[in-house]
Amino acid sequence: MSEQIREQISAFLDGELPNSESELLLKRLTRDAELRESFGRYALIGEALRGSDRVPLTRGFAERLNCAIDGEPAAASVQARHGGRPRWWRPVAGAAVAAGVAAMAVLALQQRADAPAMRASSPVTAQNRAAVAKEAISYTVPAALPEAPAVLPAARLTNYVFAHSQYSSVLGERNVLSGLLADADEQQAGDGRAVNVPAANVPAANVPAANGIRLPAPPADSRAAP
Amino acid sequence: MSKPLRRGPQWLIPCAAAGALAFALTQQSRGADDARAWLEKMNQALAVRNYDGTFFHLSDGRVETMRIVHRVKAGRVTERLQSLDGSGREFVRNNDELTCYLPDKHTILVEPRQDHGPLLGSLAHFGADVGEFYSLELLPTARVLGRSAKVIVVNPKDQFRFGYRLWLDENTAMPLKSQLCDSRGQVIEQIVFARLTMPDNIPDSELTPAVSTEGMRWVRQGTSTDTAPPALLAYRASELPPGFHLTVAGAQTLGAASIPAAHLVYSDGLATVSVFVEAQSDRKSGAAGQAQVEPEAPLQGLARVGSGFAFSTVVQGHQVTAVGEVPARTVEFIAHSVKSAGDPPHP
Repeated sequence: MSEQIREQISAFLDGELPNSESELLLKRLTRDAELRESFGRYALIGEALRGSDRVPLTRGFAERLNCAIDGEPAAASVQARHGGRPRWWRPVAGAAVAAGVAAMAVLALQQRADAPAMRASSPVTAQNRAAVAKEAISYTVPAALPEAPAVLPAARLTNYVFAHSQYSSVLGERNVLSGLLADADEQQAGDGRAVNVPAANVPAANVPAANGIRLPAPPADSRAAP
Repeated sequence: MSKPLRRGPQWLIPCAAAGALAFALTQQSRGADDARAWLEKMNQALAVRNYDGTFFHLSDGRVETMRIVHRVKAGRVTERLQSLDGSGREFVRNNDELTCYLPDKHTILVEPRQDHGPLLGSLAHFGADVGEFYSLELLPTARVLGRSAKVIVVNPKDQFRFGYRLWLDENTAMPLKSQLCDSRGQVIEQIVFARLTMPDNIPDSELTPAVSTEGMRWVRQGTSTDTAPPALLAYRASELPPGFHLTVAGAQTLGAASIPAAHLVYSDGLATVSVFVEAQSDRKSGAAGQAQVEPEAPLQGLARVGSGFAFSTVVQGHQVTAVGEVPARTVEFIAHSVKSAGDPPHP
Protein backbone atom coordinates (compact mmCIF):
# COMPACT_ATOMS: atom_id res chain seq x y z
CA MET A 1 0.00 0.00 0.00
CA SER A 2 1.38 3.35 -0.94
CA GLU A 3 2.15 5.97 1.60
CA GLN A 4 -0.27 8.29 -0.11
CA ILE A 5 -3.16 5.94 0.44
CA ARG A 6 -2.24 5.45 4.04
CA GLU A 7 -2.27 9.19 4.42
CA GLN A 8 -5.64 9.40 2.79
CA ILE A 9 -7.17 6.73 4.96
CA SER A 10 -5.77 8.32 8.04
CA ALA A 11 -6.98 11.76 7.03
CA PHE A 12 -10.39 10.36 6.18
CA LEU A 13 -10.76 8.76 9.56
CA ASP A 14 -9.69 12.02 11.15
CA GLY A 15 -12.41 13.82 9.21
CA GLU A 16 -9.81 15.88 7.41
CA LEU A 17 -9.92 14.51 3.89
CA PRO A 18 -11.59 16.86 1.40
CA ASN A 19 -14.81 15.57 -0.15
CA SER A 20 -13.36 15.10 -3.61
CA GLU A 21 -10.57 12.94 -2.25
CA SER A 22 -13.00 10.99 -0.06
CA GLU A 23 -14.83 9.94 -3.18
CA LEU A 24 -11.65 8.81 -4.86
CA LEU A 25 -10.69 6.84 -1.80
CA LEU A 26 -14.12 5.28 -1.75
CA LYS A 27 -13.74 4.14 -5.33
CA ARG A 28 -10.40 2.58 -4.62
CA LEU A 29 -11.72 0.81 -1.57
CA THR A 30 -14.67 -0.58 -3.44
CA ARG A 31 -12.31 -2.15 -5.95
CA ASP A 32 -9.59 -3.32 -3.65
CA ALA A 33 -10.34 -5.93 -1.00
CA GLU A 34 -6.84 -5.80 0.42
CA LEU A 35 -7.07 -2.09 0.85
CA ARG A 36 -10.39 -2.47 2.63
CA GLU A 37 -8.75 -4.83 5.04
CA SER A 38 -6.03 -2.34 5.87
CA PHE A 39 -8.60 0.39 6.19
CA GLY A 40 -10.54 -1.66 8.67
CA ARG A 41 -7.46 -2.33 10.70
CA TYR A 42 -6.48 1.32 10.86
CA ALA A 43 -9.94 2.33 11.85
CA LEU A 44 -10.01 -0.11 14.71
CA ILE A 45 -6.61 0.85 15.94
CA GLY A 46 -7.48 4.51 15.66
CA GLU A 47 -10.58 4.11 17.72
CA ALA A 48 -8.71 2.13 20.28
CA LEU A 49 -6.32 5.00 20.67
CA ARG A 50 -8.83 7.77 20.68
CA GLY A 51 -10.94 6.04 23.25
CA SER A 52 -8.16 5.68 25.74
CA ASP A 53 -5.38 7.50 27.44
CA ARG A 54 -2.49 7.37 25.10
CA VAL A 55 0.78 6.19 26.36
CA PRO A 56 3.36 7.35 23.89
CA LEU A 57 5.69 4.68 22.69
CA THR A 58 9.29 5.34 22.02
CA ARG A 59 9.92 5.56 18.35
CA GLY A 60 12.44 2.81 18.39
CA PHE A 61 9.94 0.40 19.87
CA ALA A 62 7.25 1.25 17.37
CA GLU A 63 9.69 0.98 14.54
CA ARG A 64 10.91 -2.42 15.57
CA LEU A 65 7.38 -3.65 15.84
CA ASN A 66 6.35 -2.32 12.49
CA CYS A 67 9.35 -3.92 10.90
CA ALA A 68 8.58 -7.15 12.63
CA ILE A 69 5.03 -7.14 11.46
CA ASP A 70 4.84 -5.94 7.93
CA GLY A 71 8.42 -5.45 7.02
CA GLU A 72 7.85 -1.78 6.43
CA PRO A 73 10.05 0.77 8.03
CA ALA A 74 7.87 2.68 10.40
CA ALA A 75 6.87 6.15 11.09
CA ALA A 76 10.10 8.03 10.84
CA SER A 77 10.04 8.93 7.17
CA VAL A 78 6.40 9.82 7.25
CA GLN A 79 6.72 12.02 10.22
CA ALA A 80 9.48 13.88 8.53
CA ARG A 81 7.32 14.43 5.51
CA HIS A 82 4.59 15.90 7.62
CA GLY A 83 6.64 18.30 9.55
CA GLY A 84 6.72 16.14 12.63
CA ARG A 85 2.97 15.88 12.96
CA PRO A 86 2.43 12.16 13.31
CA ARG A 87 -0.87 10.62 12.45
CA TRP A 88 -2.45 8.79 15.32
CA TRP A 89 -2.12 5.32 14.02
CA ARG A 90 1.32 5.19 12.66
CA PRO A 91 3.56 4.73 15.65
CA VAL A 92 1.36 2.19 17.25
CA ALA A 93 -0.18 0.29 14.40
CA GLY A 94 2.31 -2.49 14.57
CA ALA A 95 2.06 -2.73 18.30
CA ALA A 96 -1.68 -2.99 18.27
CA VAL A 97 -1.66 -5.64 15.61
CA ALA A 98 0.88 -7.60 17.57
CA ALA A 99 -1.25 -7.31 20.65
CA GLY A 100 -4.20 -8.43 18.63
CA VAL A 101 -2.45 -11.56 17.49
CA ALA A 102 -1.52 -12.38 21.05
CA ALA A 103 -5.05 -11.72 22.14
CA MET A 104 -6.46 -14.06 19.56
CA ALA A 105 -4.35 -16.85 20.87
CA VAL A 106 -5.50 -16.18 24.40
CA LEU A 107 -9.04 -15.86 23.25
CA ALA A 108 -8.98 -19.11 21.37
CA LEU A 109 -7.90 -20.90 24.49
CA GLN A 110 -10.45 -19.18 26.64
CA GLN A 111 -13.16 -19.87 24.19
CA ARG A 112 -12.45 -23.54 24.14
CA ALA A 113 -12.36 -23.73 27.88
CA ASP A 114 -15.56 -21.78 28.20
CA ALA A 115 -17.61 -23.51 25.57
CA PRO A 116 -19.69 -25.50 28.06
CA ALA A 117 -20.29 -22.33 30.02
CA MET A 118 -22.76 -21.21 27.38
CA ARG A 119 -25.43 -22.83 29.46
CA ALA A 120 -25.07 -20.22 32.15
CA SER A 121 -28.48 -18.87 32.78
CA SER A 122 -27.79 -15.76 34.73
CA PRO A 123 -25.37 -13.03 33.78
CA VAL A 124 -24.31 -12.55 37.35
CA THR A 125 -22.63 -15.89 37.79
CA ALA A 126 -18.96 -16.58 37.95
CA GLN A 127 -19.13 -18.35 34.61
CA ASN A 128 -20.43 -15.27 33.04
CA ARG A 129 -17.73 -13.20 34.51
CA ALA A 130 -15.45 -15.06 32.16
CA ALA A 131 -17.77 -14.08 29.37
CA VAL A 132 -17.51 -10.48 30.45
CA ALA A 133 -13.79 -10.64 30.16
CA LYS A 134 -14.12 -11.93 26.66
CA GLU A 135 -16.64 -9.33 25.76
CA ALA A 136 -14.10 -6.72 26.59
CA ILE A 137 -11.79 -7.94 23.89
CA SER A 138 -12.12 -5.84 20.82
CA TYR A 139 -9.94 -4.47 18.08
CA THR A 140 -8.72 -7.84 17.03
CA VAL A 141 -9.84 -9.75 14.06
CA PRO A 142 -12.20 -12.38 15.44
CA ALA A 143 -10.48 -15.66 15.78
CA ALA A 144 -11.94 -18.31 13.53
CA LEU A 145 -12.52 -21.17 15.87
CA PRO A 146 -12.95 -24.46 14.11
CA GLU A 147 -13.91 -26.10 17.40
CA ALA A 148 -16.92 -23.89 17.86
CA PRO A 149 -19.94 -25.40 16.17
CA ALA A 150 -21.94 -23.29 13.78
CA VAL A 151 -25.14 -23.87 15.64
CA LEU A 152 -27.51 -21.41 14.06
CA PRO A 153 -28.02 -21.95 10.34
CA ALA A 154 -27.81 -18.72 8.41
CA ALA A 155 -31.15 -19.08 6.70
CA ARG A 156 -33.10 -19.41 9.92
CA LEU A 157 -31.06 -16.66 11.52
CA THR A 158 -31.86 -14.37 8.66
CA ASN A 159 -35.55 -15.05 9.12
CA TYR A 160 -35.34 -14.15 12.79
CA VAL A 161 -33.33 -11.04 12.17
CA PHE A 162 -35.75 -9.89 9.52
CA ALA A 163 -38.77 -10.40 11.65
CA HIS A 164 -37.00 -8.59 14.45
CA SER A 165 -35.65 -5.66 12.48
CA GLN A 166 -38.97 -3.89 12.11
CA TYR A 167 -39.04 -3.37 15.84
CA SER A 168 -35.56 -1.91 16.02
CA SER A 169 -34.83 1.75 16.39
CA VAL A 170 -33.93 3.64 13.26
CA LEU A 171 -30.23 3.27 13.92
CA GLY A 172 -30.57 -0.23 15.25
CA GLU A 173 -32.31 -1.35 12.13
CA ARG A 174 -29.74 0.21 9.86
CA ASN A 175 -27.00 -1.49 11.84
CA VAL A 176 -28.70 -4.85 11.77
CA LEU A 177 -29.46 -4.72 8.08
CA SER A 178 -26.05 -3.51 6.99
CA GLY A 179 -24.58 -6.16 9.24
CA LEU A 180 -26.56 -8.75 7.32
CA LEU A 181 -25.30 -7.42 4.02
CA ALA A 182 -21.78 -7.51 5.31
CA ASP A 183 -22.09 -11.04 6.60
CA ALA A 184 -22.38 -12.48 3.14
CA ASP A 185 -18.98 -14.11 3.05
CA GLU A 186 -19.10 -15.77 6.37
CA GLN A 187 -22.54 -17.16 5.96
CA GLN A 188 -21.62 -18.59 2.63
CA ALA A 189 -18.57 -20.19 4.04
CA GLY A 190 -20.17 -22.04 6.86
CA ASP A 191 -23.91 -21.57 6.75
CA GLY A 192 -23.94 -19.68 9.98
CA ARG A 193 -21.38 -17.95 12.04
CA ALA A 194 -19.65 -19.83 14.70
CA VAL A 195 -20.27 -19.13 18.31
CA ASN A 196 -18.03 -16.15 18.55
CA VAL A 197 -18.52 -13.86 21.39
CA PRO A 198 -17.62 -10.70 19.50
CA ALA A 199 -14.23 -11.49 19.70
CA ALA A 200 -12.49 -9.30 20.97
CA ASN A 201 -10.75 -7.23 23.25
CA VAL A 202 -7.79 -7.83 25.26
CA PRO A 203 -8.02 -7.74 29.00
CA ALA A 204 -5.46 -5.21 30.08
CA ALA A 205 -3.41 -7.80 31.87
CA ASN A 206 -2.76 -9.67 28.66
CA VAL A 207 -1.20 -6.78 26.83
CA PRO A 208 0.65 -4.69 29.30
CA ALA A 209 1.88 -1.59 27.59
CA ALA A 210 2.21 -3.35 24.28
CA ASN A 211 -0.09 -0.94 22.60
CA GLY A 212 -0.44 1.60 25.31
CA ILE A 213 -4.15 1.01 25.57
CA ARG A 214 -5.34 0.99 29.10
CA LEU A 215 -8.68 -0.58 29.52
CA PRO A 216 -10.87 0.52 32.34
CA ALA A 217 -11.50 -1.92 35.11
CA PRO A 218 -14.44 -4.16 34.40
CA PRO A 219 -17.59 -2.56 35.70
CA ALA A 220 -19.85 -4.33 38.12
CA ASP A 221 -21.73 -7.18 36.61
CA SER A 222 -25.02 -5.47 36.74
CA ARG A 223 -26.18 -2.09 37.67
CA ALA A 224 -27.62 -1.77 41.13
CA ALA A 225 -31.33 -1.25 41.09
CA PRO A 226 -32.20 2.39 41.61
CA MET B 1 -32.70 45.56 35.76
CA SER B 2 -30.93 48.31 37.63
CA LYS B 3 -33.77 48.94 40.07
CA PRO B 4 -33.11 46.01 42.41
CA LEU B 5 -29.44 46.82 42.35
CA ARG B 6 -30.07 50.25 43.80
CA ARG B 7 -32.35 48.85 46.44
CA GLY B 8 -29.53 46.92 48.02
CA PRO B 9 -27.12 44.15 47.24
CA GLN B 10 -28.09 42.03 50.26
CA TRP B 11 -31.27 41.07 48.41
CA LEU B 12 -29.24 39.88 45.47
CA ILE B 13 -26.71 37.71 47.23
CA PRO B 14 -28.87 34.72 48.19
CA CYS B 15 -30.60 35.02 44.89
CA ALA B 16 -27.36 34.92 42.94
CA ALA B 17 -26.05 32.07 45.05
CA ALA B 18 -29.18 30.03 44.49
CA GLY B 19 -29.05 30.90 40.84
CA ALA B 20 -25.45 29.83 40.51
CA LEU B 21 -26.18 26.57 42.28
CA ALA B 22 -29.20 25.88 40.15
CA PHE B 23 -27.17 26.71 37.07
CA ALA B 24 -24.43 24.33 38.06
CA LEU B 25 -26.90 21.58 38.81
CA THR B 26 -28.72 21.95 35.53
CA GLN B 27 -25.63 22.10 33.37
CA GLN B 28 -25.32 18.37 33.29
CA SER B 29 -28.93 17.69 32.52
CA ARG B 30 -28.96 20.50 30.00
CA GLY B 31 -26.17 18.76 28.13
CA ALA B 32 -28.27 15.62 28.15
CA ASP B 33 -31.34 17.55 27.01
CA ASP B 34 -29.40 19.07 24.15
CA ALA B 35 -28.12 15.65 23.21
CA ARG B 36 -31.65 14.26 23.30
CA ALA B 37 -32.90 17.12 21.13
CA TRP B 38 -30.20 16.33 18.57
CA LEU B 39 -31.12 12.65 18.60
CA GLU B 40 -34.71 13.58 17.91
CA LYS B 41 -33.56 15.76 15.03
CA MET B 42 -31.51 12.88 13.69
CA ASN B 43 -34.44 10.49 13.82
CA GLN B 44 -36.57 13.04 12.06
CA ALA B 45 -33.95 13.60 9.37
CA LEU B 46 -33.44 9.86 8.80
CA ALA B 47 -37.18 9.37 8.47
CA VAL B 48 -38.36 12.31 6.40
CA ARG B 49 -35.44 13.59 4.33
CA ASN B 50 -34.28 12.41 0.94
CA TYR B 51 -30.71 11.22 0.98
CA ASP B 52 -28.25 9.26 -1.08
CA GLY B 53 -25.00 8.25 0.51
CA THR B 54 -22.18 5.77 0.40
CA PHE B 55 -20.69 4.58 3.61
CA PHE B 56 -18.19 2.21 5.09
CA HIS B 57 -19.45 -0.41 7.47
CA LEU B 58 -16.57 -1.39 9.72
CA SER B 59 -16.84 -4.38 11.97
CA ASP B 60 -14.29 -6.80 13.35
CA GLY B 61 -11.59 -5.23 11.24
CA ARG B 62 -13.54 -5.77 8.06
CA VAL B 63 -14.91 -3.07 5.86
CA GLU B 64 -17.84 -3.21 3.50
CA THR B 65 -18.80 -0.40 1.21
CA MET B 66 -22.51 0.25 1.01
CA ARG B 67 -24.89 2.68 -0.49
CA ILE B 68 -28.13 3.89 1.00
CA VAL B 69 -30.83 5.75 -0.93
CA HIS B 70 -33.83 7.02 0.99
CA ARG B 71 -36.77 8.82 -0.55
CA VAL B 72 -39.96 10.21 0.87
CA LYS B 73 -42.37 11.11 -1.88
CA ALA B 74 -46.05 11.86 -1.38
CA GLY B 75 -45.95 10.23 2.02
CA ARG B 76 -44.41 7.03 0.68
CA VAL B 77 -41.04 5.94 1.94
CA THR B 78 -38.71 3.92 -0.25
CA GLU B 79 -35.28 2.92 0.83
CA ARG B 80 -32.53 0.90 -0.80
CA LEU B 81 -29.51 -0.45 0.98
CA GLN B 82 -26.96 -2.03 -1.29
CA SER B 83 -23.64 -3.77 -0.81
CA LEU B 84 -21.07 -2.43 -3.26
CA ASP B 85 -18.49 -5.07 -2.56
CA GLY B 86 -19.50 -7.90 -4.82
CA SER B 87 -22.02 -10.01 -2.93
CA GLY B 88 -24.78 -8.14 -4.76
CA ARG B 89 -26.96 -8.20 -1.67
CA GLU B 90 -29.60 -5.52 -1.41
CA PHE B 91 -32.51 -4.50 0.71
CA VAL B 92 -35.35 -2.51 -0.72
CA ARG B 93 -38.06 -1.25 1.57
CA ASN B 94 -41.24 0.54 0.90
CA ASN B 95 -44.14 1.39 3.14
CA ASP B 96 -45.39 -2.12 3.63
CA GLU B 97 -42.60 -4.48 2.62
CA LEU B 98 -38.92 -5.13 3.11
CA THR B 99 -37.39 -7.22 0.35
CA CYS B 100 -33.99 -8.77 0.73
CA TYR B 101 -32.17 -9.81 -2.44
CA LEU B 102 -29.56 -12.45 -1.74
CA PRO B 103 -28.19 -13.35 -5.17
CA ASP B 104 -25.36 -15.31 -3.59
CA LYS B 105 -28.01 -17.57 -2.06
CA HIS B 106 -30.39 -17.43 -5.01
CA THR B 107 -33.02 -16.24 -2.58
CA ILE B 108 -35.32 -13.29 -2.23
CA LEU B 109 -36.86 -12.83 1.16
CA VAL B 110 -39.93 -10.68 1.62
CA GLU B 111 -40.96 -9.37 4.98
CA PRO B 112 -44.28 -7.60 5.35
CA ARG B 113 -44.13 -4.30 7.18
CA GLN B 114 -46.73 -2.22 8.86
CA ASP B 115 -47.15 1.31 7.61
CA HIS B 116 -46.13 2.82 10.89
CA GLY B 117 -42.84 1.02 10.95
CA PRO B 118 -39.63 2.10 12.57
CA LEU B 119 -39.07 4.65 9.87
CA LEU B 120 -41.20 6.97 11.90
CA GLY B 121 -39.09 6.24 14.88
CA SER B 122 -41.83 4.54 16.84
CA LEU B 123 -39.43 3.09 19.36
CA ALA B 124 -36.64 5.59 19.21
CA HIS B 125 -38.08 8.75 20.61
CA PHE B 126 -35.43 8.82 23.27
CA GLY B 127 -37.97 9.41 25.96
CA ALA B 128 -37.10 10.50 29.46
CA ASP B 129 -36.87 6.89 30.65
CA VAL B 130 -33.97 6.28 28.27
CA GLY B 131 -31.96 8.43 30.66
CA GLU B 132 -32.32 5.83 33.34
CA PHE B 133 -30.30 3.24 31.47
CA TYR B 134 -28.18 5.41 29.22
CA SER B 135 -26.33 8.61 29.87
CA LEU B 136 -26.48 11.19 27.11
CA GLU B 137 -23.70 13.62 26.43
CA LEU B 138 -23.02 16.35 23.94
CA LEU B 139 -19.31 16.60 23.17
CA PRO B 140 -17.51 19.48 21.49
CA THR B 141 -18.16 19.92 17.81
CA ALA B 142 -15.93 17.93 15.44
CA ARG B 143 -15.46 17.67 11.71
CA VAL B 144 -16.56 14.77 9.57
CA LEU B 145 -16.62 14.70 5.79
CA GLY B 146 -15.51 18.30 5.79
CA ARG B 147 -18.63 19.28 7.72
CA SER B 148 -19.10 20.53 11.21
CA ALA B 149 -20.72 17.85 13.35
CA LYS B 150 -22.36 17.62 16.76
CA VAL B 151 -20.96 14.68 18.68
CA ILE B 152 -23.49 12.81 20.79
CA VAL B 153 -22.63 9.98 23.13
CA VAL B 154 -25.29 7.55 24.26
CA ASN B 155 -23.58 5.52 26.95
CA PRO B 156 -25.18 2.45 28.42
CA LYS B 157 -25.09 2.36 32.21
CA ASP B 158 -24.69 -1.40 32.38
CA GLN B 159 -23.58 -4.30 30.24
CA PHE B 160 -27.01 -5.32 29.00
CA ARG B 161 -27.10 -2.81 26.17
CA PHE B 162 -24.92 -1.16 23.60
CA GLY B 163 -24.32 2.55 23.26
CA TYR B 164 -23.78 4.87 20.36
CA ARG B 165 -21.43 7.66 19.45
CA LEU B 166 -22.90 9.81 16.75
CA TRP B 167 -21.49 12.59 14.63
CA LEU B 168 -24.48 14.58 13.40
CA ASP B 169 -24.21 17.14 10.63
CA GLU B 170 -24.87 20.52 12.24
CA ASN B 171 -27.00 21.61 9.32
CA THR B 172 -29.07 18.52 8.63
CA ALA B 173 -28.72 16.35 11.78
CA MET B 174 -27.84 13.42 9.52
CA PRO B 175 -25.47 10.93 11.16
CA LEU B 176 -22.26 11.29 9.14
CA LYS B 177 -20.57 8.75 11.34
CA SER B 178 -21.95 6.44 13.98
CA GLN B 179 -20.33 3.94 16.25
CA LEU B 180 -21.89 1.13 18.18
CA CYS B 181 -20.08 0.75 21.49
CA ASP B 182 -20.15 -1.59 24.43
CA SER B 183 -20.57 -0.44 28.00
CA ARG B 184 -16.87 0.40 28.22
CA GLY B 185 -17.10 2.70 25.27
CA GLN B 186 -15.24 0.36 22.97
CA VAL B 187 -16.30 0.37 19.38
CA ILE B 188 -18.01 -2.76 18.12
CA GLU B 189 -18.81 -1.49 14.69
CA GLN B 190 -19.11 1.77 12.89
CA ILE B 191 -20.63 3.39 9.89
CA VAL B 192 -18.74 6.26 8.26
CA PHE B 193 -20.14 8.13 5.29
CA ALA B 194 -17.74 8.91 2.49
CA ARG B 195 -20.37 10.71 0.45
CA LEU B 196 -23.78 12.02 1.41
CA THR B 197 -26.11 14.14 -0.64
CA MET B 198 -29.66 15.21 0.10
CA PRO B 199 -31.30 15.69 -3.29
CA ASP B 200 -34.79 17.14 -3.65
CA ASN B 201 -35.70 14.47 -6.15
CA ILE B 202 -34.54 10.89 -6.45
CA PRO B 203 -35.57 9.01 -9.60
CA ASP B 204 -37.14 5.56 -9.32
CA SER B 205 -34.15 4.08 -11.10
CA GLU B 206 -31.97 4.80 -8.06
CA LEU B 207 -34.30 2.72 -5.93
CA THR B 208 -34.56 -0.26 -8.23
CA PRO B 209 -32.46 -3.28 -7.26
CA ALA B 210 -29.65 -4.12 -9.64
CA VAL B 211 -30.22 -7.85 -9.04
CA SER B 212 -31.75 -10.07 -11.68
CA THR B 213 -34.56 -12.03 -10.05
CA GLU B 214 -34.51 -14.79 -12.63
CA GLY B 215 -34.20 -18.26 -11.12
CA MET B 216 -34.35 -16.91 -7.58
CA ARG B 217 -36.36 -18.59 -4.86
CA TRP B 218 -38.91 -16.29 -3.24
CA VAL B 219 -39.57 -16.73 0.45
CA ARG B 220 -42.35 -14.68 1.93
CA GLN B 221 -42.58 -14.39 5.68
CA GLY B 222 -46.00 -14.22 7.26
CA THR B 223 -47.45 -11.03 8.60
CA SER B 224 -47.23 -10.03 12.20
CA THR B 225 -50.98 -10.55 12.48
CA ASP B 226 -50.70 -14.33 12.09
CA THR B 227 -52.22 -16.45 14.81
CA ALA B 228 -50.03 -18.83 16.73
CA PRO B 229 -51.25 -21.84 18.72
CA PRO B 230 -52.40 -20.75 22.18
CA ALA B 231 -49.74 -22.93 23.81
CA LEU B 232 -47.06 -20.79 22.18
CA LEU B 233 -48.71 -17.54 23.12
CA ALA B 234 -48.49 -18.42 26.80
CA TYR B 235 -44.70 -18.00 26.74
CA ARG B 236 -43.10 -14.96 28.32
CA ALA B 237 -39.70 -13.98 29.67
CA SER B 238 -40.01 -14.59 33.39
CA GLU B 239 -37.10 -12.34 34.21
CA LEU B 240 -35.61 -9.42 32.31
CA PRO B 241 -32.47 -7.30 32.45
CA PRO B 242 -33.13 -3.94 34.14
CA GLY B 243 -35.26 -1.58 32.09
CA PHE B 244 -36.56 -4.07 29.55
CA HIS B 245 -40.30 -4.49 29.26
CA LEU B 246 -42.68 -6.21 26.89
CA THR B 247 -43.79 -3.90 24.10
CA VAL B 248 -45.30 -6.26 21.52
CA ALA B 249 -46.75 -9.76 21.77
CA GLY B 250 -47.85 -11.28 18.49
CA ALA B 251 -47.17 -14.10 16.09
CA GLN B 252 -45.47 -14.43 12.77
CA THR B 253 -44.71 -17.18 10.30
CA LEU B 254 -40.97 -17.35 9.78
CA GLY B 255 -39.57 -18.31 6.41
CA ALA B 256 -41.02 -21.57 5.20
CA ALA B 257 -42.25 -22.74 8.61
CA SER B 258 -45.66 -24.37 8.70
CA ILE B 259 -46.81 -22.94 12.02
CA PRO B 260 -46.51 -19.31 13.08
CA ALA B 261 -44.12 -18.58 15.91
CA ALA B 262 -45.00 -16.44 18.87
CA HIS B 263 -43.09 -13.16 18.58
CA LEU B 264 -42.44 -11.09 21.69
CA VAL B 265 -40.63 -7.77 21.64
CA TYR B 266 -38.85 -6.40 24.70
CA SER B 267 -37.40 -2.91 24.79
CA ASP B 268 -35.61 -0.60 27.18
CA GLY B 269 -36.73 2.40 25.18
CA LEU B 270 -33.79 2.26 22.79
CA ALA B 271 -32.56 -1.31 22.34
CA THR B 272 -34.99 -4.03 21.36
CA VAL B 273 -34.91 -7.80 21.67
CA SER B 274 -37.27 -10.13 19.84
CA VAL B 275 -38.12 -13.52 21.28
CA PHE B 276 -39.48 -16.21 18.99
CA VAL B 277 -41.15 -19.29 20.43
CA GLU B 278 -41.68 -22.13 17.98
CA ALA B 279 -43.30 -25.48 18.27
CA GLN B 280 -40.16 -27.55 17.93
CA SER B 281 -41.75 -30.93 17.29
CA ASP B 282 -44.24 -29.59 14.79
CA ARG B 283 -41.73 -28.13 12.40
CA LYS B 284 -41.39 -31.38 10.51
CA SER B 285 -45.10 -31.97 10.04
CA GLY B 286 -45.40 -29.43 7.25
CA ALA B 287 -48.35 -29.58 4.90
CA ALA B 288 -48.03 -31.98 2.00
CA GLY B 289 -47.45 -29.17 -0.45
CA GLN B 290 -44.43 -27.95 1.47
CA ALA B 291 -42.06 -30.70 0.57
CA GLN B 292 -39.04 -28.49 1.11
CA VAL B 293 -39.79 -28.13 4.79
CA GLU B 294 -37.41 -30.58 6.30
CA PRO B 295 -37.29 -31.69 9.86
CA GLU B 296 -34.92 -29.36 11.57
CA ALA B 297 -32.68 -30.10 14.49
CA PRO B 298 -33.23 -27.93 17.52
CA LEU B 299 -31.09 -24.83 17.56
CA GLN B 300 -28.91 -24.24 20.55
CA GLY B 301 -26.29 -21.61 21.17
CA LEU B 302 -25.14 -18.16 20.36
CA ALA B 303 -24.54 -16.50 17.02
CA ARG B 304 -23.53 -13.06 15.99
CA VAL B 305 -25.98 -11.37 13.66
CA GLY B 306 -25.08 -8.02 12.23
CA SER B 307 -24.42 -5.72 15.13
CA GLY B 308 -26.21 -7.91 17.62
CA PHE B 309 -26.66 -11.46 18.75
CA ALA B 310 -29.05 -14.34 18.59
CA PHE B 311 -29.30 -17.03 21.22
CA SER B 312 -31.33 -20.20 20.81
CA THR B 313 -32.33 -22.76 23.36
CA VAL B 314 -35.05 -25.33 23.90
CA VAL B 315 -37.58 -24.67 26.66
CA GLN B 316 -40.20 -27.23 27.55
CA GLY B 317 -39.94 -28.76 24.11
CA HIS B 318 -40.18 -25.43 22.34
CA GLN B 319 -37.55 -23.65 20.33
CA VAL B 320 -36.84 -20.28 21.92
CA THR B 321 -34.66 -17.72 20.12
CA ALA B 322 -33.84 -14.24 21.33
CA VAL B 323 -32.43 -11.77 18.80
CA GLY B 324 -31.45 -8.15 19.17
CA GLU B 325 -28.85 -5.45 18.69
CA VAL B 326 -27.72 -5.99 22.26
CA PRO B 327 -24.78 -7.77 23.89
CA ALA B 328 -24.66 -11.56 23.91
CA ARG B 329 -25.46 -11.67 27.62
CA THR B 330 -28.76 -9.91 27.09
CA VAL B 331 -30.14 -12.35 24.52
CA GLU B 332 -28.88 -15.25 26.63
CA PHE B 333 -30.46 -13.86 29.77
CA ILE B 334 -33.81 -13.33 28.13
CA ALA B 335 -33.89 -16.62 26.21
CA HIS B 336 -33.06 -18.59 29.34
CA SER B 337 -35.81 -16.92 31.31
CA VAL B 338 -38.58 -17.73 28.84
CA LYS B 339 -41.31 -19.93 30.33
CA SER B 340 -44.86 -20.78 29.63
CA ALA B 341 -47.13 -18.89 31.97
CA GLY B 342 -49.65 -21.70 31.57
CA ASP B 343 -47.43 -24.61 32.55
CA PRO B 344 -45.89 -25.41 35.89
CA PRO B 345 -42.18 -24.64 35.78
CA HIS B 346 -39.96 -27.56 35.04
CA PRO B 347 -37.97 -28.94 37.95
